[in-house]
Amino acid sequence: MKALEVAKKDLKIEFRTKGTLNLMILFALITSMMFSVSIPMSLAEKTAPSLLWLVFIFVGMLGYSRAFLKEVETETLDGLKISPIAPASVLIGKILYNLILMILIEVIILPIFIGLFNLDVANPVIMFLSVTMGNVGFVIVVSSLSILVIKSKMREMLLPVLIFPVVFPIITSTILAVRKSISGDLVGIFSPIALIVGFSIIMFVVACLTFEYAFSD
Amino acid sequence: MKAVELKDVVKKFGNFKALDGINLSIEKGESVALLGPNGAGKTTIVKLISGLLKPTKGEVKVFGEIPWKNYEVRRMMGIVSHNTFLYDDLTAYENLQFYCKLYDADESKIDELLEFFGLKGRKHDLVRNFSRGMKQRLSIARAILHDPPLLILDEPTTGLDIEGRKELMKYVAKVGRKKTIIFTTHNVKEAEEICDKVAIICNGKLIHFGEIERDLEKVYLRVVGYEGT
Repeated sequence: MKALEVAKKDLKIEFRTKGTLNLMILFALITSMMFSVSIPMSLAEKTAPSLLWLVFIFVGMLGYSRAFLKEVETETLDGLKISPIAPASVLIGKILYNLILMILIEVIILPIFIGLFNLDVANPVIMFLSVTMGNVGFVIVVSSLSILVIKSKMREMLLPVLIFPVVFPIITSTILAVRKSISGDLVGIFSPIALIVGFSIIMFVVACLTFEYAFSD
Repeated sequence: MKAVELKDVVKKFGNFKALDGINLSIEKGESVALLGPNGAGKTTIVKLISGLLKPTKGEVKVFGEIPWKNYEVRRMMGIVSHNTFLYDDLTAYENLQFYCKLYDADESKIDELLEFFGLKGRKHDLVRNFSRGMKQRLSIARAILHDPPLLILDEPTTGLDIEGRKELMKYVAKVGRKKTIIFTTHNVKEAEEICDKVAIICNGKLIHFGEIERDLEKVYLRVVGYEGT
């Protein structure tokens, strides 16, 4: 329940200031537009899943890591640390907050991206679900690892170095699943989706169990 | 059971020894000033007591529990420091409401507290528009909203002007009644105002602990070796 309070507090601040959300939407729009004008339409179907994920990776790196960074900037992280709240609850709160941001970005960007690339998506529901599941895994990884680098002066450089090896299986599986949903050939889609779900669950459990060490002292 | 107990506590940051064998025992209801020059280790002691840091060696207990292991014991502490732990983009009310939920405290007390600290008229204003003094008053309200038996004040008057300092100390004296107080400062007069015991810390060592004497400033200057400077 305390995790919900952390997420609610962050959302209240975000909807009031719109700092992160506006930045993420703007960045996603610009990169989507740049990709759409630079890729020939004949290649759109083949390249769109990877480019879509590039957009989400850029935007995610920019936005999701800010959940903890903002607490450091406003000097409120210690306020959470001295409160009777388990570190895992703080992490879950931040993940929930990032998930809501992610869904908002996805709902806005996905139709625009499909429109810009003039994609004829055979199975839009599967596409949305694949992207969402991939993003859930991505959010879990970024949210939990960002605490490790928030105090570093080189955090912008360190975060991708830490995150990419970990999220690589999620990215490749999601790209595969999105490609299949666009083409409509759903044979074998279960494997990448199962990998995304399984990997996300493992990452979530590991993050909750180990977060205390990153969060304290 | 003691309110706070530190046994042979050593805290190192890399090779730097911030605390060197601190032994300190604070009874329930006592108000103790941790007095010492900048960098003496006062804030490190507070961070160990509040569970923000783990000791490198030794044992820290608050009401018999280890604070960095037991989250529930943190419910028994209220911490006011120069850092207010308030969210600038939330209103005064929303800040207290958030902390009420973290501490499972009664939200109906918020209005009463805001009135006590003279902030009722500003309860729906964003904290970013508050003066430093108002933020510190709200910070005390945040620290006591769950009515903790232990109040930790870590240089709460830092950054306040003389009037703000006086006002804050007045509030601290009022809310600190019947509570165990740990008050870190390098200002002897402030220590005398609200505490009945003093622990003088210098270079990570506890060099004096006892009742506040009549001429605390002289004692302080003598034990930290600054006399005549």
